[in-house]
Amino acid sequence: MRWIEIEETVRFNEVDEWGMIWYGSFMAYFDIGRMALLRKFNLLPKQMVELGYIAPVIRLTCDYKQSATTDDSIIIRAAATKPEIAVLNFHFEILLKENRELLANGETTQMLLTTGRKIIYRLGGELKRRVDRLLQYCMQT
Amino acid sequence: MGMKLEEIINNSRKLCNFLKEMIIDTLKLEEITVEDIDDDAPLFKEGLGLDSIDALELVVAIEKHFDIIIEDEDVGKEAFGSINILTQFIQREFKAKIKNSMSAAG
Repeated sequence: MRWIEIEETVRFNEVDEWGMIWYGSFMAYFDIGRMALLRKFNLLPKQMVELGYIAPVIRLTCDYKQSATTDDSIIIRAAATKPEIAVLNFHFEILLKENRELLANGETTQMLLTTGRKIIYRLGGELKRRVDRLLQYCMQT
Repeated sequence: MGMKLEEIINNSRKLCNFLKEMIIDTLKLEEITVEDIDDDAPLFKEGLGLDSIDALELVVAIEKHFDIIIEDEDVGKEAFGSINILTQFIQREFKAKIKNSMSAAG
């Protein structure tokens, strides 16, 4: 699997009163990774809307392995995998930059709807072309 | 399930059972048997209690088994009304497909 990597710094407001990254902050890190990947393939939310689609997240998992704190440098990794059904699946890893230790990993699933809120059961046209390019990129080793 | 596809499709009883088995296998409904599925009960929400992700899985299974495409929720809502409705839907779509391929060949 080929990942996109983004470097970030843990902000003060992302850390809880025990000095650890707050569990909810990881969702925002996942989204930074996802957006970077989507940007590369012209699939940003507004670009999806231009094509007539939205892609709400319907499932999210996150496993926490280690903690980090304010001002630590982290690496956000994101990749997409090819699903058998008409959804988008993303995988994420958050690493501490210093030693590339895994802090957390997770996945999201997004369903595809028309802007008129109708669920689509198969991808077609320009949306399919862009999603296929994204999947091809992530499948390269 | 080694029977010819057409033989199953032309026999409503067999197709009905085939679809029930397909639903159980596809969605890994381990606690449900063919006998538990009511032919007229809705498959989603109040009936079998399936959700929209299950619908996506069933669409792929139907395409694989019957080469019948369900494009979106509008068609899906109708087709997944109940086992009986789905049986009729598959029979109708299959007939239309054969007719189309024959007129294309002619």
